Amino acid sequence: MDIEQLAERVDDAARNASAIAQLSAEAELPLPDAYRVQAASVARRLGRGERRTGIKMGFTSRAKMVQMGIGTMIWGRLTSGMAVEEGGEIVLSRYVHPRVEPEVAFLLRRPLAGPVTLPEAAAAVEAVAPAMEIIDSRYRDFKFSLGDVVADNSSSSGYCVGPWSAPDVDTANLGLVMVFDGRAVQIGSTAAILGHPLRSLAAAAAFAGAAGEDLPAGAIVLAGGATTAEPLRAGVHVRLEMERLGAVAFRVAG
Amino acid sequence: MSVAAKISERLRQAEQAAVPIPPVRGDVAADDIAAAYAIQDCGTEAGLRAGRRLVGRKIGLTAKSVQRQLGVDQPDYGMLFADMELADGDEVPSGLLIAPRVEAEMAFLLGRDLDCPSPTMADVLRSVEAVMPAIEVVDSRIAGWDIRLVDTVADNASSGRFVLGGTARSIAGVDLRLAGMVMERQGEPVATGAGAACLGHPLIAVQWLARKMVEVGRPLVAGDLVMSGALGPVVPAGGGDWFEARINGLGSVRIAFARSA
Repeated sequence: MDIEQLAERVDDAARNASAIAQLSAEAELPLPDAYRVQAASVARRLGRGERRTGIKMGFTSRAKMVQMGIGTMIWGRLTSGMAVEEGGEIVLSRYVHPRVEPEVAFLLRRPLAGPVTLPEAAAAVEAVAPAMEIIDSRYRDFKFSLGDVVADNSSSSGYCVGPWSAPDVDTANLGLVMVFDGRAVQIGSTAAILGHPLRSLAAAAAFAGAAGEDLPAGAIVLAGGATTAEPLRAGVHVRLEMERLGAVAFRVAG
Repeated sequence: MSVAAKISERLRQAEQAAVPIPPVRGDVAADDIAAAYAIQDCGTEAGLRAGRRLVGRKIGLTAKSVQRQLGVDQPDYGMLFADMELADGDEVPSGLLIAPRVEAEMAFLLGRDLDCPSPTMADVLRSVEAVMPAIEVVDSRIAGWDIRLVDTVADNASSGRFVLGGTARSIAGVDLRLAGMVMERQGEPVATGAGAACLGHPLIAVQWLARKMVEVGRPLVAGDLVMSGALGPVVPAGGGDWFEARINGLGSVRIAFARSA
């Protein structure tokens, strides 16, 4: 298997916003190889001048696992090129079939790597924020195997972070409402994220450690979707309100 | 005996025997909401005559998704009697209910009568003395939960039991709309949501109820309890299940179901 060649394929698909066939359609893609493809595709982004900004967790909620038919947590790498300014605008033509989901973001004050306890994970948090992730599978019809989605950087394509709050806010069960053009489209709680988003942060540290990386101070960790993802459409104004943490919004160009 | 009274009696017997019956929509027009409430009223009156104590109301169909499912655009209501209350942590005996489901809600305790014409949100705010986390155990006397609007309305809005938890709190300064909710079964989250899932804000549901109750001549009064409607998905309860619901800022509440014998 040519890891570089597969990485180029998913990277090109992301760059050109063009859907591709599942990699696993040609040959089986075991999970370790899929993560190698992911690392190589992100290296291509860095080669074009993007910076690593953090990591995102995927399939941390039952709702997401059911929506996508996958039963295990995964992670992906965030880069500066994926950042969407709070209050900013995105254009659909940069994506294949983007969806948005409500998340919690953690900002690290000190590095985290390898297996950590929940108190250790909590102590490494500088701030928490409401956030939205724009996920966009590069595979046709948003359909994929576990290996496919991991190789495709776990569908990472954009993220938008709201105001940071001091980490003394308990994130265990924060209510949230995601609103399209003033109408609630998803209502939930951060408790859907593994029962507590901090568990997702600890899992992120373990994943990174196992991959031989650490989460440096200043890294952002997106803890995973709290509800199912909503498809984005042209012209829509998207806003997430989260109990105690405030709101974050962006607009899709019409 | 009127048709309404006969249907109401059928529902009562189904409840007592915990043996479901076919939908009532064969006996009343599927869109005759007034007839369905007339059946419910017969049940309420029969309960009062038998010495049951009316302690409040429940609001149902407060989730947009459930309204869509039933093709309706407004909630419904049912009566809460004192004998429907369970204690925090109680175990529901097997065979007591037909096909119980649980939903996490807010329960409001009223401190003033809401008997003025067309109560406003201000009237509601002045009336609510306290809020508590609650679990409603809904149940249907209609076999297989095969219900349309008239079936559930006639059947006391599919009410079963209710349990209150936590500490009664004032609503002053509590963000009831964004309060997070998680309900766990056997310690695993099975439903999450927030106050906004209930008609956009739980007190909007209470206001709807208050107006309705004035209209039908059974106004809410001081001491009444109001169950808001679900803050997240409803979950079927099986023998051996135990549930805990937590509402951010309000506390937690539990209910268990005995294993079938």
